[in-house]
Amino acid sequence: MLSIVQTISLMGLYGNLVEVQTDISNGLPNFEIVGMPDVSVKEAKERIRTAIKNTNIKLASKKILINLAPADTRKEGSSYDLPMAIGILIAMGVITQTQMQQTIFIGELALDGKINKVTGILPMCIEAKKLGIKIAYIPKQNEKEASIVEGLTIVPVETLQEVMMYLNGEKKIQVQPYTNQLLVQSEIDGNNLDFADVKGQEDVKRALEIAAAGGHNCLLVGIPRDWKNNDSKKNSYHITRSYI
Amino acid sequence: MIARRIPTILPDLTFEEALEITKLHSIAGCLKSETGLIKTRPFRTPHHTISAISMAGGGRVPKPGEISLAHYGVLYLDELPEFKRETLEVLRGPLEEKQVTISRVWASLTYPCHFMLIASMNPCPCGYYGSGIKECTCTPNAIQRYLAKISGPLLDRIDIQIQVKPVEYQKLGNNEIGEKSKDIRQRVNQARRIQQERYKPYSIMENSELTPRLIQMYCKLDNQGKNLLEKAFTTLGLSARAYTRILKVARTIADLEGKESIEVKHVAEAIQYRNRDK
Repeated sequence: MLSIVQTISLMGLYGNLVEVQTDISNGLPNFEIVGMPDVSVKEAKERIRTAIKNTNIKLASKKILINLAPADTRKEGSSYDLPMAIGILIAMGVITQTQMQQTIFIGELALDGKINKVTGILPMCIEAKKLGIKIAYIPKQNEKEASIVEGLTIVPVETLQEVMMYLNGEKKIQVQPYTNQLLVQSEIDGNNLDFADVKGQEDVKRALEIAAAGGHNCLLVGIPRDWKNNDSKKNSYHITRSYI
Repeated sequence: MIARRIPTILPDLTFEEALEITKLHSIAGCLKSETGLIKTRPFRTPHHTISAISMAGGGRVPKPGEISLAHYGVLYLDELPEFKRETLEVLRGPLEEKQVTISRVWASLTYPCHFMLIASMNPCPCGYYGSGIKECTCTPNAIQRYLAKISGPLLDRIDIQIQVKPVEYQKLGNNEIGEKSKDIRQRVNQARRIQQERYKPYSIMENSELTPRLIQMYCKLDNQGKNLLEKAFTTLGLSARAYTRILKVARTIADLEGKESIEVKHVAEAIQYRNRDK
């Protein structure tokens, strides 16, 4: 039987929909992925096979062929694992829901059937929405990031088993609600850095203020001296990557 | 160090800016799972051993480099002359175009990189050239070689250049508290709002992005200012490229004060920030 599910591939900041076409037919037991997959996509074969096995489903010993269309663009990364596994399960008849228009699957499989996070979820979801997608199945670990996108139903999933049961209507998953983050207030707390602690150096502070106000590039030329004002290492760690 | 405190005075992000920053970090794979939207401007401090490729971005399917991760934020390069020349030259195009196109066999991708470059360096290898507190022990040749690491075109793209003077002993000892970052940031935000309003039709956001035509429109000087600039040119021997830089910086200083026109004192202050190309 043939099944078709969709996923998205990212080229820089732009996305293209990719159709994962799975066909299971009689013949020598075989598992082949075509459509310009690179090494990380080809390796998915082993992950999918084992993940399905460890979800207590017997993989049909038939000829399994997966085509990633359009077949003329290169596919890389581990985000194709989930759509390919779902494609196989639909083609095997394990998942009974076959209407998958306007739905995409993104996720990497672990051998035990867990769904691991992938990179680039936010741009993928934004691009998917632009391309007319309504529902996105994404790894649970990426849900925060995806919830920024308005008008796209995000289904965060943790295991292959869970996706299967959800699609068969046996289980409910809390859909991640859209979090309105239109109000962006840069808050730089959690570290005690403040210009007030810098003794003297008024001219440098002024120059940096002007640089920040006009977006000007700035070069500071100075003598090597330890006027570092007792920054703890902890502080400098926080400042380089401070998220809310 | 003072540079570490720069993020505390950077202006607020708009939603679109935050979204773009988050997208780039998401692609690079350095977004933590508990993070939704990144709400602070990035502050990237790559070590000077960084390669040109990790600076600009690269890989078989190119991933964003440091300059793209610093998008809408600050790229801080400490000890500028210690960076490989090749790495620094990579910055030239992106500084001007605010985007970088990386071509590899598999793909040719364009990532935005609208960052503010802040760099620090010593005036010479020993560090005391012109300091007035200790004699410099470097040979002229060594100083020349040290400074030659930074090419003219790169220096040309740096609007503000300032000499950091040693702190006097009295100031170290006293407990006087300087201005709070919060207050400075308020002024910065105000100045940014003025600029955003003014440049709405031109799809730019900051004074640093002004094109020659826009400089003519928005950086008009009064007679006093013109006279001062002319005098500065002849006596200090400023280069032609310094001219537009001074006008842009003067525009920002006027914006910080909320002034419509650039006054002579704004020009005077801006001239001070052309330290290196006298």
